[in-house]
Order: sequence, then C-alpha cells, then structure tokens
Amino acid sequence: MHEMSLALEVCRIAEGQVGLDRLPQVTEVGLLVATEAGIEIQNFRFCLEALLTAPPFVNAKPALERCPGDDLRVTYLEVDDGSPED
Amino acid sequence: MAVRRIEVRERVMARNDELAADVRRILRQSGVTALNLVSSPGAGKTLLLERTLERLDEELRMAVVTGDVQTQNDADRLARCTSELVQAVVTHGACHLDARQVLTAMEAVDLPSTDLLFVENVGNLVCPASWDLGEEAKVVIFSVTEGEDKPLKYPKMFANSRYAVLNKIDLLPYVPFEMDRAVAAAREVNPDLEFFFTSALTGEGMEAWLELLRGLVRSPAPA
Repeated sequence: MHEMSLALEVCRIAEGQVGLDRLPQVTEVGLLVATEAGIEIQNFRFCLEALLTAPPFVNAKPALERCPGDDLRVTYLEVDDGSPED
Repeated sequence: MAVRRIEVRERVMARNDELAADVRRILRQSGVTALNLVSSPGAGKTLLLERTLERLDEELRMAVVTGDVQTQNDADRLARCTSELVQAVVTHGACHLDARQVLTAMEAVDLPSTDLLFVENVGNLVCPASWDLGEEAKVVIFSVTEGEDKPLKYPKMFANSRYAVLNKIDLLPYVPFEMDRAVAAAREVNPDLEFFFTSALTGEGMEAWLELLRGLVRSPAPA
C-alpha cells in the first residue's frame, strides 16, 4: 500500500515547512495528483485523512487536485496562525 | 483567526529521489552495478538469485540486499548460496523498498570489493515501480503461471524496466500460456525491453541471463 508511504511523505514535507510544533495549526494541505502518478486516489485520500486528522496534526484536510501527467507534489499548506483577522 | 497560505510546490518523491541519486553516485564511484529485481510474489526472484549466486560465485563479487514484508527467509536462503554478503531488509508491512533503506543496507556492503549488487524488492508489481532505488536498471521477473497479459495489467513496472525475465518455462507443457502473446504484451508497453527466458529450477535459459550480468560488470556505467 504505497499510498500510505506517500501520505507519510506528505506529512514529512508539511513538518519541514512549518515545524513540528506548528503542525496542529495546519488546516489544509494542497496536493497535485496527476492521473498517471500510479496512485489510487480514494486510497490516497483515505490515508491522508487518517494521518492529517490525528496528532501531531489536528484537523487538517487534504485538498487533491488532478492534472494530466505523472506529477505528485504538495502545492500549499493553509495554516491558522492564531492571530486576529487582518 | 487568520488562515494563511504557504506555497510549497515540493514533489512528494523528491526526498526519495535525492537519496536514490546518492545511492547511484556511490555505486558508480565504486564501480558497482546494481540491479533492482521486481516481480509479483512467487514469480521466482529468490530461486533465480540463488542459482545466479551459485553459478557466478567464482567469477563475480556479488552482494544482495533483499527486502521482505516479514521474515528473513529469503536472506537465509540466499546466504547459503554465496560467500558474499546478503543483507536483509524487513519492511514490516511496507509494500516496497525505498532509497533510504537501500542506502542504509549498503553501509554493510564492502563496495570496493563488489562488482554486482542485487536488490531483491518486495514481491509486488505495483508500488516498487514508483520508487527509484538508485539502481542501474530494473529487472522485472514474471512466470508462465501468471498469464500473458500481466504486462498490460501492470504497465508501469514493465515500462520502467530495462530487462524482463520470463521464468518457470519448464512448466510450459502444463499451463495454457502463449509465450508470443506475453512478449507482445510486454513490448506494447516497452518496445525496448530485453527478454530472457529461464527456468531457474532446471537451469534452462540461465546462461543468457548470466552472460548479461557478466557483460554489465565488464562495462559498468561511467561514474
């Protein structure tokens, strides 16, 4: 089940971007998942949801965007930084 | 609360591919040719490797990194066939090897005293196709008991492989398998695939496979 390996790698990338202590603030993880990336999309979504809604994340949601080709990448993170709205 | 967006655009496989590049660089600097053996479970990877190690043990210096979901059974089998190192990687549920595992396993290999490194991947025709391990080439092994359309069912693995070994040909009289259809199916997804037809059990066809390995060692990829 390599979707779980890939989902774990997504978590590692998120941690690299915001740091372990800020992972609970991540609310959304944007991903580009190409149609030829060799990924079963429902399985991948399931793995991501399982990991992103558990500690050290809290309630992050995966947002998957499809595209042609074989690309697979994290495109953005949405972070609730706790500060008041601008 | 303010929600802010952080642009990332990082490839999910980037870290694995970096480590695979490290593996490839280290192997080339040491003049070691590495082959990544992939197949479905039961296609005969381990027996093919056992016979290969036995037949070439006097000629080539070979090491093996063998991955299994559970147990070290394959490593134990292979270790009985060679005086060289056999390193086991137990993945504990993971369906493929990754470059980090190979890099770690290579620490135990005396690379300057090695000509050929076999990486026996976890038996699985799907996931290992996506993970670069730093090998020189993938070798996909399938057997005559599996059906001629296997390359069409698992195209990425056959497309990403340079060599195909069609194994268990000693069983051809007993199974409804058409060799030409299997080869045509494989060439449909990868016209450049180089084929070998073997029975690791009886030894039939093994010499062509062994000659390929000798040739790869004689002419390794440039560092």
